[in-house]
Amino acid sequence: MNSLSSLVICPHCDTVHRAVSLASGDIACCVRCNAVLARYHRIEANQVLALAVAAAILFVVASVTPVLSIELGGLQTQANVWTSALSMERGWISAAALVLAATTFLIPMLQIGLLLWLLSFAQVRRRAPGFTGALVALHWLRPWSMTEVFLLGTLVALVKLSSWVSIAPGVGMWALAGLTILLAILSQCESRSWWTFAQSLES
Amino acid sequence: MSELKFAAAVDLIACRTCGLVSRRLRTLSEGRCKRCASAVYARLPRSSEKTLAWLLAGLLLYVPANVLPVIYTSRVGGGEPSTILGGIVGFWQAGAWDIAALIFLASVVVPATKFLALGLLLWTTRQGSDWRRPERARLYRLLEIVGYWSMLDVVVVALTTALLQFKTFGMAEPRAGIVFFCAVVVTTMIAAMSFDPRRIWDGPVSDG
Repeated sequence: MNSLSSLVICPHCDTVHRAVSLASGDIACCVRCNAVLARYHRIEANQVLALAVAAAILFVVASVTPVLSIELGGLQTQANVWTSALSMERGWISAAALVLAATTFLIPMLQIGLLLWLLSFAQVRRRAPGFTGALVALHWLRPWSMTEVFLLGTLVALVKLSSWVSIAPGVGMWALAGLTILLAILSQCESRSWWTFAQSLES
Repeated sequence: MSELKFAAAVDLIACRTCGLVSRRLRTLSEGRCKRCASAVYARLPRSSEKTLAWLLAGLLLYVPANVLPVIYTSRVGGGEPSTILGGIVGFWQAGAWDIAALIFLASVVVPATKFLALGLLLWTTRQGSDWRRPERARLYRLLEIVGYWSMLDVVVVALTTALLQFKTFGMAEPRAGIVFFCAVVVTTMIAAMSFDPRRIWDGPVSDG
């Protein structure tokens, strides 16, 4: 049975590979279909935890401060991730509001929360309760997390509305930009190596 | 370098969720992963049918998504509903060709590419075709990466309606088209996820 743990099967083409040890910065690709099989990062668990804490702070900032604000005739309005989704709450159009709230607010929040949960236990060399479920959830949530799409959307809206109202980016937009970068780094770290890392921890 | 082997050919099976390699029971093609308890399949069951169903649903929804207005904007002196294509034309005419190109890419090119590419992948895998397998594998990975960017228009409509709340001076409201467009993004994403890329490699190999 032990020989199985030295094998890696490409999830894209089902080709069997023998695992090789990687140096920092190395990327292992499938010999047949060229898909990325593994990346090696010299990032320690506590550094990933630091990134996750930073992401949580930026998420809170982006949620409570305006991402964009406009002024027209002496009146001012503001919008951020949450209020944008809410603004679409209108009869059955609310279905779109629900999808938007899930993909740009709830799912990124859940991802950060799950990471914090797993990593704070890993910090004291323990396996978090619900470890398996949390990692499986992270795997399924990832394609539905759309913070970067929201960021691009704010830039489009900024240009779109600037032609006839006075519009300005708020603190929230910078927080969102930082959050996008952090989530991209975190999603690179969060990989299949987590499962083997988990097995080294006490339950 | 030894000859490349497919896991299915040597009675091995990998978990799609956690990557754990297990020995496959000869009589069963599925089971539960010992490590993460996810269902494990040598090939996702009925993946072609599911992909086709979600893809057709997306294609149907794509019609009202483009025909119906996605937003209604009113300013002093009147208002107008606008469709996705209308919005792109508006940006273009206003001189913002870069934004027009960006929205065109996210709202028209990406969904159209998904329909064509997934259709091509479905058709060639059904034939067990040997044609350009590495390129088709890359095409599928590209679909996975670009798929969710179509949500861009939904974000722009939401932000615009959240900001333009000035009653008489300027007002924006979402319209039904955006729900259909949102549904297109979701259904085509599910269609891409339902496809099993391992099937690209199933079938005869002509050059050995």
